[in-house]
Amino acid sequence: MEDTERSLAAVVGADHVSDDPASLDQYAGDESFTERLLPRWVARPGSADEVERLLAWANETRTPLVPVSSGGPHFHGDTVPSVPGAVIVELMRMDRILRVDRRNRMAVIEPGVTYSQLQAALAAEGMRVTPPLAPRANKSVVASLLERQPTLIPRYNFHLPEPLRDCGVVWGNGDVMFTGEAGGGPLSLEEQWRSGVVQAEHKGPAQTDFFRFLTGAQGTMGIVTWASVKCELLPSVRTASVVSAPRLEDLVPFLYELNRVRLGDEVFVLSGTFLARLLVASGASCDGAPAWNAVIGLGGRRHLAEERVRVMEADLQVLAATHGLALASAAGGTDAARLVEVAAGCGDSPWKLDAAGGSCDVFFLTTLDRTQGFLNTARDVAEAVGLRSAALGVYLQPQHQGVGWHVELSLPFDPADPVATTRARAFDAAVSARLITDGAYFSRPYGAWAAPVYIRDAASREALRKVKAIFDPAGVMNPGKLCFGPVAAKEA
Amino acid sequence: MALTDYRADAMRCTRCSYCKWIPFDLVRSARFAKGCPSVEANSFHAYSGGGRLITMLSLMDERSEVTEKVVDVAFKCQLCGNCDVACKMCRYDMEVLAALSEFRAHLVEMDRVPDAYRPLIERTRAALAGRGKSPAERNAWADGLDLRDASREQVDVLFFPGCKYSLEESLRETVRLQAKVLLASGLTVGIIPEAGCCGGLSARMGYREEATHSSQNLLAQWAAARVATVVTPCADCRHMFTRVYPGLDGASPVPEVLHTVELVDRLVKDGRLELTTPVPMTVTYHDPCHLGRQGEPYVPWEGVEKKIYGQAVVYDPPRPRYNGAKGVYDAPRDVLAAIPGLELVEMERSREAAWCCGAGGACREAYPEYSAWAAGERLEEAEATGAAALVSACSRCELNFAEATAASGSDLEVHDVLELVWRALGNGREAS
Amino acid sequence: MPAPALNPDAYRALEDIVGAANVSNDPAVLDGYAFQYLAELVRPENSPYMPRPAAVVLPASTQEVQQVVLLANRHGLKIKPTGTGWYFFNAPIKEEDLTLQLDMRRMNRILEIDERNMFAVVEPYVIHAQLHAEALKRGLSINIPGSGCSTSIVASACAYAGQGPHTYFMGGNAENVLGMEWVTPEGEIVRTGSLGSGDGWFCSEGPGPSVRGICRGSIGSRGGMGVYTKCAVKLGPNFGPREWHVGGTLPAYRLPLADTMRAYTVAVPTWDAWADAYYEIYDNEIGYVFHRQFNLAGADLAPAFWLMYNDHTKTLGDVPEIAARDDVRKLAEEMRISFQIVLAGRSVADIELQDEILNAILDEVGGHKVERFCEPDMAEFTNIYLQRLGHKHVNFVWAGGYIGSWMQFGTPDWVKGYVPTAAAGLERDAAGGLLVQCGGDAMMGSGSGLPGGGEMGLEQFVSYDSADLESTRAAARHMEDAVKDAAAIGYPPGKEFMYLQMGWSDEQIWEALANSTQPQVFRYQRQIKEAFDPNDVGDRMYPTLPRDVGQGGEVGTPAP
Repeated sequence: MEDTERSLAAVVGADHVSDDPASLDQYAGDESFTERLLPRWVARPGSADEVERLLAWANETRTPLVPVSSGGPHFHGDTVPSVPGAVIVELMRMDRILRVDRRNRMAVIEPGVTYSQLQAALAAEGMRVTPPLAPRANKSVVASLLERQPTLIPRYNFHLPEPLRDCGVVWGNGDVMFTGEAGGGPLSLEEQWRSGVVQAEHKGPAQTDFFRFLTGAQGTMGIVTWASVKCELLPSVRTASVVSAPRLEDLVPFLYELNRVRLGDEVFVLSGTFLARLLVASGASCDGAPAWNAVIGLGGRRHLAEERVRVMEADLQVLAATHGLALASAAGGTDAARLVEVAAGCGDSPWKLDAAGGSCDVFFLTTLDRTQGFLNTARDVAEAVGLRSAALGVYLQPQHQGVGWHVELSLPFDPADPVATTRARAFDAAVSARLITDGAYFSRPYGAWAAPVYIRDAASREALRKVKAIFDPAGVMNPGKLCFGPVAAKEA
Repeated sequence: MALTDYRADAMRCTRCSYCKWIPFDLVRSARFAKGCPSVEANSFHAYSGGGRLITMLSLMDERSEVTEKVVDVAFKCQLCGNCDVACKMCRYDMEVLAALSEFRAHLVEMDRVPDAYRPLIERTRAALAGRGKSPAERNAWADGLDLRDASREQVDVLFFPGCKYSLEESLRETVRLQAKVLLASGLTVGIIPEAGCCGGLSARMGYREEATHSSQNLLAQWAAARVATVVTPCADCRHMFTRVYPGLDGASPVPEVLHTVELVDRLVKDGRLELTTPVPMTVTYHDPCHLGRQGEPYVPWEGVEKKIYGQAVVYDPPRPRYNGAKGVYDAPRDVLAAIPGLELVEMERSREAAWCCGAGGACREAYPEYSAWAAGERLEEAEATGAAALVSACSRCELNFAEATAASGSDLEVHDVLELVWRALGNGREAS
Repeated sequence: MPAPALNPDAYRALEDIVGAANVSNDPAVLDGYAFQYLAELVRPENSPYMPRPAAVVLPASTQEVQQVVLLANRHGLKIKPTGTGWYFFNAPIKEEDLTLQLDMRRMNRILEIDERNMFAVVEPYVIHAQLHAEALKRGLSINIPGSGCSTSIVASACAYAGQGPHTYFMGGNAENVLGMEWVTPEGEIVRTGSLGSGDGWFCSEGPGPSVRGICRGSIGSRGGMGVYTKCAVKLGPNFGPREWHVGGTLPAYRLPLADTMRAYTVAVPTWDAWADAYYEIYDNEIGYVFHRQFNLAGADLAPAFWLMYNDHTKTLGDVPEIAARDDVRKLAEEMRISFQIVLAGRSVADIELQDEILNAILDEVGGHKVERFCEPDMAEFTNIYLQRLGHKHVNFVWAGGYIGSWMQFGTPDWVKGYVPTAAAGLERDAAGGLLVQCGGDAMMGSGSGLPGGGEMGLEQFVSYDSADLESTRAAARHMEDAVKDAAAIGYPPGKEFMYLQMGWSDEQIWEALANSTQPQVFRYQRQIKEAFDPNDVGDRMYPTLPRDVGQGGEVGTPAP
């Protein structure tokens, strides 16, 4: 065992350092078109203390770290090292739910806690956390929230990072800090809980929203060792509807008003193709889904829950009728309630890979009124690279109570088929370049999307580099991602 | 009175800036939310009601001196009273408008006044010394009208047009119509040929001595003529008579004073004026500051500040509260409503929240461009209603608006309320 | 007292940038900015003046702001932007600094209202009242923070706090802010979120990590870290009429309730019940505006005060007589622990159901609707008061001075823990007659300062006569007492601590920061300041901890 490995083993324990080829290989690439590069080791810290010591070690040895909290497969290239000699920091051993507080509707979790694990624990208290679309069972809640993955319930999304609140972080420089209101207290969650602090206020501490440096960061600023998340009450009464239409523009005014009056729990829009993939992956069949499908879940909770849902349904009927639309109880042959269940639940497998083995996903933020324009562009690009645009699935997710929309283009392809792979890769490159130029906001610039995004916004690039230089001056955290360069080679 | 009388007001100002806006509950658009022409035009905080209080404090504290800028701050203000109303939305202990008047009086005593004031006060002093316009000049507007000499015989009402209506050529037709409306009711209407100025301009400028002299002259004339009721078409004069005169030391009692719209309102409701001829027009009504928010009845008071609940500031006896609640808003509107075929549409800023026409506080005389700008702002607001005419009840407002429409080429007509009453009496648009 | 002297070249350069009419160094004009609310509590000899700026500048555009900032960098000046300028944070902080006060009032346009996508873009001198009025016309509304509708949206969202009675439903200005345009202390222009990418105003996050994390946290830089020249804010739904027909007589205007809205004053028997009621309101997701407002006048006097306020023939001096009436005495006991809530429904059926749910909650906690305050006159008054928040200056009604103490922010369960001590403290400190004696509970606070519910604070309204030196000194002593009272029961200090620091030396502030539970927060802020404000043009309203103060030294020193 070389010295570096020995010192690493001293931090996390010899059992939790690995360089076996299979372990390394699983992190050398992912489902995206990111160039493959083997890491040097995989390390598995089991506590915040170990993470702290790991950062100290990384700074001392100038070793790049790539934090990973979710089990595979991975999709965005952020868990693939960009520089040689990297250590994958697997956080899955840190999988404790530290606290569930029903009264204040807060949960505090470690990064290895998955959606399936958390939702089950919260359900026992009559709660849930607002989920992203059909996360795989081993998806880390903290990772999903840190990466601002869109969630299904727009009226709870008072700002994009919701329901993420406070974090415990070891910055790239090795410092331990808590963010949010936790940052105004002692560095001990137990002590804070004893004094009645529940880590609900996300802002601060002081004049800086430290947690925002961690969101969308692809692990380039530090490692989060715990996070508090806001929980919602599980509805005791639920119904769902689908409003379908041949064209997206037929749904747009309805969707605007739906979000404006904050009607609905789950609200999301799937193209027929996307809906079919999701249903088939869940084990249902899909029977001629309409081209566009707005899925709306309604939930009643606490007092007069049934009456609440009845009134909401009536309001929804009126709203749909006002826009010349009808509520349906199913789409593609599947009950709307089942659709919502699938969308909000955790599948065992990464469902996106079911159709063809691979999935090319391109996503960005925009406003609803600009969405069709971008979809037209995507269709044109698809056809230009020799794809059938009908193969392109679309998922639209209102965020921030309807102000911004996550637009996701999803193209299944067979990675074992070189022609299909080439086309998919060409599509990814061409459509992202076109969309960025045309004004689609790539707020989460993974992989090759980063360069054009940071050329476009040079001022933010420079500001972020200044922030990075403060929190990770040695550049050990996932170098080469976003607008951050690779770490300098250690001087002899 | 002295600047230091308002020291407590200045110390208790919290720099909240409510004085710059109309009462917030009444804001209906971003454009017409503003209440203070002075700070809108001049920007620095000192140009607001609260800002002037601070300037006064700064002078009292000898932290600054009276500079040209301080003179500009003090006098480039219409004394419109919006600041006073807005402040009193939440405060019972602040008298911003009174403080602003005191500020002027203080600077006048120091002879630190805008240059434009000097010829004005010289003319006033000359008039008080008997070297002003002759009665023939002042009363030329009344030629041919059946107006009595109230100094020689008892009349039902003494008509007091004021300087602007008496002397401005552009208002000649209006003042004659006003008199004719009153005559049409069957009342005997008289004037006192020797009557001079109400003292309004002097008072606003801060020349208290000259204002008092003017007021004493008029009150003596009225007492000698045993005038029971004075009616004036000028809101500025009405304000002097009802709010300033009663407070003067040793002054003769003030008779009943009505604005012409108040009297006409009574006459219409009593059936003595029948408005039967349609006047098919959409109009909007501008509340003159001195008839609207400053048109509240005077309540004599002499007392002291006292504290209750430890530190809560109250007055013993209770101090009258002039906050615009009891201004004359309904009488002119009731008169307009009684005119058949006339439709009244309100501007966003109406009643106690009305934007000043720009003429007040001697700004028309001392700062004509600024005054005209303020009038232009109000014109935009009137035009936004879609009305064909802007109607008011004050000589200075009507003058300022007429000049503003001419300058801008606007199609908006400008009328006095009584002009429309005259038409509704079946008299068309005939020349007087 | 002479103003700090600005180099004539610098003054002339300012005139060149903004025009001679838009700069002034006249002492009386400068004092319009030095005089500040709360200065009298912390300044030497209880002076109402903060330090004077060297000049006041009125820029009209982002370019002019940038030029002024660059000039400040060149000449070693400080920059202090101010919006509506209420609170002493706005003023220069140190006598010895040469500070340019940037009065942003010429930048006063609403640049865009995107009705469909529910956001508006504003310049710094657009106040909440203006945007609220424009939003209503479009079937929308906005968050108005606790400081009321007279305040600047940009200042609240980018540089201060932004929470208030509307936050529970609308979101706070921190959550609602979208793209921001920021002239950094160095004179760079940074546009945050989607705006920086040229993709519009709609998103505040990213790209990648959010640059806006530098701009503000739980509180903003209060003018100490550059100038915000524009921002966009998210709007929310208006469930009432698009045009208000305001009735009533000033000061108590009234707004009739739409058939889809309700406005209630609700009373509960104990503070435990109060906390339970809040949690139930959160869980049941009812409520549009949620606030403990009327109690600011003091629980003993609040009913009498508000009944007086609603009668335009009455004044403050009538309160004792009204308070002595039997029916009002009973009312004071009935609504001793009470709060206000406006409900809004999507439909008549929805609002009726929300009403039933509120009744069910009240039944559970032993509360009830206060009949007198739910009668049409008071309900309509409550409706306009809470929706427009245009009466915030009533904070000062008793005697001109008001200090908000306590207001520690946390869960209702946590907050109720400090109420008895806060109340006892005010009773004690007011007993000598140097503060207004309105009963110990003059505590006011939003239903939740976090969107969707969860946390809030109760602020003790301590009224003093700012024209009376002894009363002012008593208020200053109260602030010190409140800090001690909180510590004695294991609570951190409240708002008064932040205010007291305005009168401290740098060294005293650093000592407090160094003794805070995570001092590295302020060492990071120092590093952020060094990166973005290398010439120190921003003042200590953006607090930092120097390298050599306190233990722990430098944060994040990489291993050699």
